[in-house]
Amino acid sequence: MSNTRPVAPAPRIDLRSESAAAIVVFAALALLPLMMGGYVIYVLPQYLIYGVLAMSLGMLWGYAGILSFGQAAFFALGAYAMGLAMKAGFGASDGYLGLLAAIVIGAGLAFLVGYFLFSAGVRDIYFVLITLALSIMVQQIAISQSSLTGGFNGMYIPRMDLALGPFGSVSLAHDRAIYYLVLPVTIAIYAGLRRLTRSDFGKVLVGIRENEGRTLSLGFETSWYKTIAFTISGAVACLAGALYGAHAEFVSPSLASVAFSTEVVIWVAIGGRQSLLGALLGGLGVAALSNYLDGLSPVFWQLILGGIFVAVIIAFKGGIAGALGRLVARKDGTHG
Amino acid sequence: MAEFLGITKLTKHFRGLVANEDVDFTLGSGEVRCIIGPNGAGKTTFISMISGHVAPTSGRIAFKGRDITGMSVPGRARLGIGRKFQTPSVFDNLTVAENIELASIGKHAEGADRRARMGEVLQLTRLEAFASNPALTLSHGQRQWLEIGMLLANRAELLLLDEPTAGMSAEETHATAALIKTLAAEFGIAIVIIEHDINFIRDLGAPVTVLHLGRVLMEGDFAAISENEDVRNVYLGGEWEC
Repeated sequence: MSNTRPVAPAPRIDLRSESAAAIVVFAALALLPLMMGGYVIYVLPQYLIYGVLAMSLGMLWGYAGILSFGQAAFFALGAYAMGLAMKAGFGASDGYLGLLAAIVIGAGLAFLVGYFLFSAGVRDIYFVLITLALSIMVQQIAISQSSLTGGFNGMYIPRMDLALGPFGSVSLAHDRAIYYLVLPVTIAIYAGLRRLTRSDFGKVLVGIRENEGRTLSLGFETSWYKTIAFTISGAVACLAGALYGAHAEFVSPSLASVAFSTEVVIWVAIGGRQSLLGALLGGLGVAALSNYLDGLSPVFWQLILGGIFVAVIIAFKGGIAGALGRLVARKDGTHG
Repeated sequence: MAEFLGITKLTKHFRGLVANEDVDFTLGSGEVRCIIGPNGAGKTTFISMISGHVAPTSGRIAFKGRDITGMSVPGRARLGIGRKFQTPSVFDNLTVAENIELASIGKHAEGADRRARMGEVLQLTRLEAFASNPALTLSHGQRQWLEIGMLLANRAELLLLDEPTAGMSAEETHATAALIKTLAAEFGIAIVIIEHDINFIRDLGAPVTVLHLGRVLMEGDFAAISENEDVRNVYLGGEWEC
C-alpha cells in the first residue's frame, strides 16, 4: 500500500511493567517498618503524602494535559480542615470528620473553579495563572483569619485516633501506626487513579490532551471532562493535606505558598507525568532528596535540586518514568 | 415528511463579507452529494455551519427532524453528524487503534461490541496492518482514512468530508471513492463531500452542488454540471476538458 510501511510502535510506558513495579514498591514499603525504625519510619509517611499530592497533579497534567499551580492551595486547605475538625471536639470521630471535610472541600472548590473556568474556555497558561492566584488567596486567607487559623504562627493539630467502632480505637501517635494508615491510603489512591486513567473517562482525558478540538467534534463535552478531572484532583490533594496535617501535627500558611505549588510541579516533572507511579515516586524521592541535601548544604541545596530538575527535563522529556519506559520498549524491540 | 438534512436560507456574513447567502440544501439518508466551487465560494463555511463550528447569521438547519441551528458541536456529533477536517485532525501521538477506540467511546460499550466495531472500521479503512502504529507515522492519505474511520466508530450518520482525497495517490483516490460508495449503499450513511478533484467526482457519480460567491449556482448530476456554460465560466475558467 502506497509509500508507507509499518513501523515500531512509539515508545511508551508498558502498563504491565508499571503494575509489576508498583507491587514491588508497595511491598517493600509495607515491609520496611519491620526492619527499620526511628527517623525513617517517622518521615516516610510525610513523603508518601507528598507522593499522593504529586499523583493528584500527575493525573491532571499527565493525562488531561491541564497544568495546575494550585495544588498547594488544596493541600493547605485539607490540613486546615483537619486542624479545625480536631479542634471542633466531636470526640472519637474528629479525625474522620477532618478527612471527610477535606474531600468535600477539595472537590467542591475544584468543581466551582473548574466549572467556571473550563466552561468559559479558560485554558493553558491562563488556567495556570488562575490556579497560581488560588494558592496566593488561600495563603492570604490563612494569614488574615488568625482567630481561626493561628495566622503566621500556624495551628497545632493533635494526631487523630483511628476509631474502629466495637474494636475500640488505635492511637496514631505512634509512627508505625500512622505509617500503616498512610500507606494503604496511598495504595488505594494510586489504584483508584490508575483505574480512572485506564477507563473510558481517562481515554477521553488523553484525547483532550492530544487534540481537544477533535475530541469535542466526536461528541465529548470536554469542559465537563476537564471539570471532573480537576474536581478529583482537588479532592485527592485536599485529602493528602488532611493526612499531612494529622501526621505533621502542624499547619502554617507557607503550606499554601506558590513555592510549594511549584515544588509539586517539579516532583511530577522529574518523576514522569504520564505515569502515576512516576509521579508518586517523584514526590517521595525528590522530597527525600531535598531533605537530605538540606542537611548536607543548607545554603546550596536548592541550587543542586534546580540543577537536577534542569538536567532531567533536558535529558528526558517524560521524566524518569518516561525514560525507563523507553528503555523497556527498546529492550523488547531487540527481541522482536 | 421531515427530510434527513434540511437546510433553508442559510446565510453567513463575516462582518461585511458574504460567505453564504440563502443556501437551500436537502439530503436524504444514504445520499451522497459533492460540493464544488472556486476558492472563496463558501464551501467550508457551509459545512462548518452544519457541524456547528460556525454559527449562521440567519437560516435554519434541521437534522433528522430536529432544528439543530443553535446546537453545540458535541451535541451535533452525538446526534450523528461527523466532520472530517480539511487538514486531517487525528490524535497524532496515539496509535491507529487508540484513535478509533477513543471515537467509539460512548457509542460502543467496552468489550466485544467495541472490538468488533474497531475491527470492522480498521478493515473498511484498510488500516489493519497499521493498528498499533502512531497516527503521525501514517501517510497523508491514510490519515484521511483514519479520520473517516473515527467518524464511523463514532456512529456518524452524516459525514461531512472536507477534501477527503487531498494528498492521495490515484489508486488511493479511487479506493476512497469506493469506500464512500460502500458507506452510502451498505451502511445508509449520508455523505457531503467538498472536492476539487474532477476525476474523483466523476468516479463517485454522485449529484453535485455548485457554490459560487456563497450562493448555489446549480445542482445536478455530473454530466449536466460539466456541460453547463455558467459553471464552466466561473469554476473552470472555460479551460476544463472532459
